[in-house]
Amino acid sequence: MLEVLTPGLLDTVQDAGRPDAADMGVPAGGACDPWSMAVANLMHGNAPGAPVVEVTLQGPVLAVRETCTLGLAGADLGAIVREEHRPLAIGLVHQLWAGTTVAFGAPAGQGCRAYLSLAGGIDVPLVLGSASTCLVGAFGGIDGRPLRSGDVLRPARQEDVSAAGTAWPADGGLGPGSLVEAKAGAHIRVVPGPHAERLGAPALEALTGAEWRVESESNRMGVRLSPTSEGLRGQPGRNTGELLSFGVVSGAIQLPPDGRPIVLMADHQTVGGYPVPACVITADHHAIGQLAPGDSVRFVVVSIQQAQLLYREHRASMRAAIAELARTSTWDEAWRDAGG
Amino acid sequence: MKSADRPQIIAFGDSALLLELGDQIDLELNRRVHALAKVVRDDGAWGTPVPAYASLLVPYDPAEIGVDEAVDRLSALFARAGTAAKRAPVEADAEPVEADAVPGEADTEPLEVPVRYGGEHGPDLDEVARGHGLRPQDVVALHSGVTYRVYMLGFAPGFAYLGGLPPELATPRRATPRDRVPPGSVGIAGQQTAIYPMATPGGWQLIGRTDLKVWDPSAEPPALLQPGRRVRFRPVV
Repeated sequence: MLEVLTPGLLDTVQDAGRPDAADMGVPAGGACDPWSMAVANLMHGNAPGAPVVEVTLQGPVLAVRETCTLGLAGADLGAIVREEHRPLAIGLVHQLWAGTTVAFGAPAGQGCRAYLSLAGGIDVPLVLGSASTCLVGAFGGIDGRPLRSGDVLRPARQEDVSAAGTAWPADGGLGPGSLVEAKAGAHIRVVPGPHAERLGAPALEALTGAEWRVESESNRMGVRLSPTSEGLRGQPGRNTGELLSFGVVSGAIQLPPDGRPIVLMADHQTVGGYPVPACVITADHHAIGQLAPGDSVRFVVVSIQQAQLLYREHRASMRAAIAELARTSTWDEAWRDAGG
Repeated sequence: MKSADRPQIIAFGDSALLLELGDQIDLELNRRVHALAKVVRDDGAWGTPVPAYASLLVPYDPAEIGVDEAVDRLSALFARAGTAAKRAPVEADAEPVEADAVPGEADTEPLEVPVRYGGEHGPDLDEVARGHGLRPQDVVALHSGVTYRVYMLGFAPGFAYLGGLPPELATPRRATPRDRVPPGSVGIAGQQTAIYPMATPGGWQLIGRTDLKVWDPSAEPPALLQPGRRVRFRPVV
């Protein structure tokens, strides 16, 4: 059991979200980097979409009130056990002793979101079928808000510390494809969007021909981009203005009148009115979720058929890791249940 | 594309299709959108469809089916449901929409929404009135004098886009959106009006406020205003 002493920049409870409530105007929500959420959970023997804490850039300070295990995945945000001067590696389940404190330092490398798992998942009530914090609706997670001092994180399963030491068999960091070399300029794969034809070929060419920088206004709703100096030649085409509102998907790249694209993320509004020249492929959603302000991004076009093949490979690599995890650990039953 | 006679299915990314029935706010078009949403929900082979004014977003699992098969299956589903919609534009035989196909139409009586217009509750009322050469009380009379209809939900949980605004009240969004619109605020944007279910940023012109709770995640259904529901505003002090 953990208690929040000092909250981080934005710590929220997230799970697989509530995609089935989109027709009520509810954002799908869920982890911005679903791959890393699954890694954190699976190491713990949880279902891949069990509730975790998503930590953003600057993590919280957590007091360990009862001895427990903590799984860490996603970006390395410099977690340590203060009293023991023990760094907590990513891709591992750590044992934490009552009376100690977990703190976070500065982001140690790439990415901006870390995922924290407890045995059985974080114990919070489900709202509309999900534990995810819906910030706009102020429901889900813990009272519909980011974590704050005094909040208690309880494991949903009786803690027996047997998961301690479990390591993710593949790279526990930022997911497959090694596309998240954000500091060097991430290459994110896209397919032409529903308005690619209407906007004309130059729009897609401008989007893919330029380098983009992630703006600090980015949040769980969307990654905001502006052209780097090199990218200035690429205003992504003429903007056709606002369209009659239509349902939109995560990964859609909206083009507002100012020509600065917004990549929609987990908490995006369910409908939008800006033209969508391209969409990030599902297999790269986890990479988008790790883009930090200042990172640079390039977009590479693939066909929808290729994107779907890549997604099946993405899932297969997760299944392979789960099989390896099951082979080397005592948690195999839980992993089987997790649908590996 | 002006109306329902040329519906099209296009890919929206690698995991959804978008059915476009038209590009305007039109009652019959919108009723068909919701009827088709019901067809998709009832079929059970898709993610939850998201109906909008004149389009329907239909998610699918790309690990299960490819895009071409998804388009074929959805076309076939709509063909069976009596509404042809193919990748290539075709003439559709627009069947009348069944009576129970649009959820909010089951309530025949309009929902009455009590609104305190103007002042601190509707900080943009005077400006909206000035912009149209009207007195504030004329705006109130016009806004509360007609029956609206829920066309779609979006923007925020339970946020219902109401169509039927008297044309003389049509007003563009504010140039600079507010960082925080109080919950219950009644706003105008373009030819639409709506109630903000919760405190959110927002760019609509705020003319009043209601105490009626239009969103409650623990209620069934959580959104009080369902597509097709008719709504009237009643001025209160």
